[in-house]
Amino acid sequence: MAAQQAVVARIAPVAEDVVALDLDAADTPLLPWTPGAHVDLTLPNWLTRQYSLCGDPGDATRYRVAVRLDRLSRGGSEYIHRFLRAGRPLAVSAPRNHFALTPAPGHLFIAGGIGITPFLSMMDAIDDARLIYTGRHLGAMPFAADLRERHGDRVRIVETERDGRPDLRQVAAELAPGTLVHCCGPAAMTDHVQKIFPGVRLERFRPQPRTHRPNAAFEVLCARSGRTLAVPPNRSLLDALADEGVAVASGCREGVCGSCELRVLDGEPEHRDDIGAPAGRMYACVSRALGPRLVLDL
Amino acid sequence: MHRVAPDEVRARIGEPDALTRMKKFGHIDAHVRRFIAHSPFLTMATADAAGNADCTPRGDYPGFAKVLDERTLAIPDRPGNKLADSFTNLAENDGIGLLFLIPGMIETVRVNGRAWVTDEPDVLARMQTEASTPMLAIVVEVAEVYFHCGRALLRSRLWDADSQALAAEAPTMADVVADLVGGDVETITKHVRAGYRELF
Repeated sequence: MAAQQAVVARIAPVAEDVVALDLDAADTPLLPWTPGAHVDLTLPNWLTRQYSLCGDPGDATRYRVAVRLDRLSRGGSEYIHRFLRAGRPLAVSAPRNHFALTPAPGHLFIAGGIGITPFLSMMDAIDDARLIYTGRHLGAMPFAADLRERHGDRVRIVETERDGRPDLRQVAAELAPGTLVHCCGPAAMTDHVQKIFPGVRLERFRPQPRTHRPNAAFEVLCARSGRTLAVPPNRSLLDALADEGVAVASGCREGVCGSCELRVLDGEPEHRDDIGAPAGRMYACVSRALGPRLVLDL
Repeated sequence: MHRVAPDEVRARIGEPDALTRMKKFGHIDAHVRRFIAHSPFLTMATADAAGNADCTPRGDYPGFAKVLDERTLAIPDRPGNKLADSFTNLAENDGIGLLFLIPGMIETVRVNGRAWVTDEPDVLARMQTEASTPMLAIVVEVAEVYFHCGRALLRSRLWDADSQALAAEAPTMADVVADLVGGDVETITKHVRAGYRELF
């Protein structure tokens, strides 16, 4: 994925354990994005992390993301909160959108905590969209006041410590036909929402735990170069390609971010990602092959 | 060979100056925390009950050693040679000495303390890389932290690009294995390289 250069302009607290990170264009304007898009940030400690863009999609001089400090941080959110400094150049990927808005008679957005970030620009984009935003209490809910101010009654704030969880079955019962539901939040929330709104579009923080059939070896033909290589059971497709010097961009390496998307020309992939690969595409970090062979556009 | 008595050693070296003594802390302060967060490599020294000592390298992404609080560190156990020398030593003698390095930086950080082994899920969760989570981690209760000056790394030209020419003259792992068990160096080199692909 093509990287862009940006500079950390500002890191400022916006709620308990949440900072907003402003990234300014270094030399050339930043690539455009649409509501729901995210970028990969490559941090100085070599870790790559995905964050939803939550600034103004029309602003090519600045990206904004918001980052919650994870108590069990492996070094991404901890680094941003504790060690990242203003003025530091950062590589930022081109924006990608697996959570895009599509036309529908109505839109309902359901956000939990830091899962609010993709919905900030989505609320601006759709005049009659409604938002249910839950969090423990107001102090831990970034942008809550701002959302109420901009969108008034279209935003329902639920403080679970005071109000308990929202009655989503009630919400579902009253939903106008054809309403498209988007949800972003912690796993407990996305799992619950999926049961009540079967057609919901989800964005998860972490991959969904799942079981796969045992890894099998398969063969890959790189159609453009004509090279054939073997993917052993204990190597990912991404790593097997790298072993043979076929560099493929990668980000999360756990099937969430979409950086390592490849075009499949023949053979049937075994999809193991959390994105939902479009037809004829696969994500090399986690997905494998159902049959003995794949032909890839490489 | 003449052995210099301990008090004679002190007499010949002299006493450390005030600033040097000040750089010794009893805890991990903000600077040392920042240093450790940028260090991808450390050496770990342990010894058994009889005082037989050992030093091993540990490395991963910068900040792989996690500062849990200002008196506690945790270091993941990644797959290695399975000799488990450090674990065996720590079972008998919990003393530990760590030296943290940052590529390009001549100063190093020394951390000494007492260590034990944990499988605490909340600690291991912080050490996940890509698809793997370590099974064990070494917890270090910090007794002494020291910001070490850069003279040794300056003299050794450790980070000079030109210094890397030395590696071409050193014995390779394959040379060593070939002498031990026989076999041709080229085949062994392939095996060694294949093994190095399995980093996690």
